[in-house]
Amino acid sequence: MNTTTTTKFTTFSFRRRSVLPGFGISLGFTIFYASLIVLIPLSAVFIRTTSLSWGEFCDAAFSEFALPAYRVTFLCSFAAALVDAFFGLILAWVLTRYSFPGRRIVDALVDLPFALPTAVTGISLSMVYSKNGWIGSWIEGYLGIQVAYSTLGIFVALTFIGLPFVVRTLQPVMEDLEPEIEEVAATLGASRLQTLFKVIIPQLIPALLTGFALAFARALGEYGSVVFISSNTPKKSQIAPLIIYQQLEQKNYPGATAVATVLLVASFLLLLLINLLQKWSRRHQQ
Amino acid sequence: MEVPPNRLTALMSIRADNITKTFGDYTALDAVSLSVPDGKLVALLGPSGSGKTTLLRIIAGLEFADAGNGRIYFDEEDVTDVSPGRRGVGFVFQHYALFRHMTVAENIAFGLNVRRRSARPPRAAIKARVCELLKLIQLEDHASRYPSQLSGGQRQRVALARALAVQPKVLLLDEPFGALDAKVRRDLRRWLRNFHDETQITTLFVTHDQDEALEIADEVVVMNNAHVEQVGTPQEVYDRPTTLFVHKFLGNVNRIALPWRGLFAGAPLPVEDGYVFVRPHDIELVHLNSDLDGDPACVTDIHAAGPVAKIAARRLDGLGIIDIEISRANLALLRLREGDDVLLRLRRPPSPSTVDYTI
Repeated sequence: MNTTTTTKFTTFSFRRRSVLPGFGISLGFTIFYASLIVLIPLSAVFIRTTSLSWGEFCDAAFSEFALPAYRVTFLCSFAAALVDAFFGLILAWVLTRYSFPGRRIVDALVDLPFALPTAVTGISLSMVYSKNGWIGSWIEGYLGIQVAYSTLGIFVALTFIGLPFVVRTLQPVMEDLEPEIEEVAATLGASRLQTLFKVIIPQLIPALLTGFALAFARALGEYGSVVFISSNTPKKSQIAPLIIYQQLEQKNYPGATAVATVLLVASFLLLLLINLLQKWSRRHQQ
Repeated sequence: MEVPPNRLTALMSIRADNITKTFGDYTALDAVSLSVPDGKLVALLGPSGSGKTTLLRIIAGLEFADAGNGRIYFDEEDVTDVSPGRRGVGFVFQHYALFRHMTVAENIAFGLNVRRRSARPPRAAIKARVCELLKLIQLEDHASRYPSQLSGGQRQRVALARALAVQPKVLLLDEPFGALDAKVRRDLRRWLRNFHDETQITTLFVTHDQDEALEIADEVVVMNNAHVEQVGTPQEVYDRPTTLFVHKFLGNVNRIALPWRGLFAGAPLPVEDGYVFVRPHDIELVHLNSDLDGDPACVTDIHAAGPVAKIAARRLDGLGIIDIEISRANLALLRLREGDDVLLRLRRPPSPSTVDYTI
């Protein structure tokens, strides 16, 4: 747009003059810490995998047990994140828009899946949803659907652990929505539904995508609760992290890392895709 | 002559009748009645908390008056229970309230796009209307920009265009220029006046800026403390305030402790609790050694930047400081310096024969 100003800044510099000191030390620390905690352990996975030949890698990574496990993992995670996005949206809306007795308690309950040890989650969910459980007996008795110890159980557990991510990312954005936006839509003749779908939801989309991505990522890596509620039947209700665990138990480290690599690359690509989507949805923000 | 884009066949008058609004213990409006004649540009002027915005919002249908006999009429039609979308009002907020995720063109078209299919103009007609409005607000090149890429003044113009797109019968503006800087504010103010002259759309705008109200409004409604204090043309409310509040609120005013020797018998000034209220430009300065009557004071400050000289003088009897405004030419004639002692007196009205309000 303005050519004179853009040419001025062609020499790129990491460092910008700022009133706050400490750019060097904080960037150094960030790189050190990110390497120590994230990059080095992850690269170990790849390095371990390289001890396999390409054929061996494919055999291990795409074995007849691994393939259905990926399918279960990704499909259940995706479905769970989708459901979380929907109900999280409603829950966040109710928590920010209305005041009702017990609102604070509900608000605090949202965080519970964050804090609960995943094994506890798995055990309590499987008790409730099993054939003799409070909810499970009802569903199985009337609808004939088995929840615990099936793929559906995995989905239930993943939904449970993903919910707070959506609610907590949406809440601050909803609180920041200006009431004037809705009022102006009303004076322009928009119905309540039109205001909701054309004015409010579009402004929540970036946050909703972030929440979805977080819930999805969390679900992909979830292990503790799923192994309790799933029957872990090979080729049917085994999740990919369980395959890795089994390989490790058999001291087949390269095999475990092969599966882990596939999981890692696929997760990375999916999250990248969601991030790009999110960037696109934020195109109106400079 | 070309027909202006927003010329309407029927203009609407607004009448608010006996409106009371309370928020808990707080009374925002106390049995307020107001009428805005059709085709006029009317300012609702008052300090913050005077209830002016609440009144505007009730007229728009965004807020509802307390149950009782308060009614809102557009022409003779009772719209008290009509939803804001069906009142045919265009509302503009102080902070623009643009839809961030829509381009300028989409923002402007919003009111037309949300209409029921049967009432919605064809796509080409909407596009034409948007172009027309973009031209009106002089933002033709910005149609596909997002609000975040516009300046404050541009955003407010887009908000105006968006409100005008649905061809409202009345335009309601809530502190429309309050968030803008002084220069843009003056330009936009003048633009609004010109726009109103062309379209004649009945317009009611809220402001706490008296210059704004006095400069562009046909009529000013001064509000204070949940009541309407005075209604009149800018000149009427400025020159002949009917209440002490209006006198104090409009223009600068000195609160001078009595007794003050600068007064003359029968001076038409409001007096309250032993104080008299005098505008700075109604006071004249004379030399101490003149034989005229006046109140002795010592000049403490002279500000001569701008068209008028602003002078502060401390009364020699110690009863406070008085602000005076005189022309620069007058200041030069007096050869006044800081520290000089002078006499202050109320400017005498011109001889009775020339006083004629009807002209």
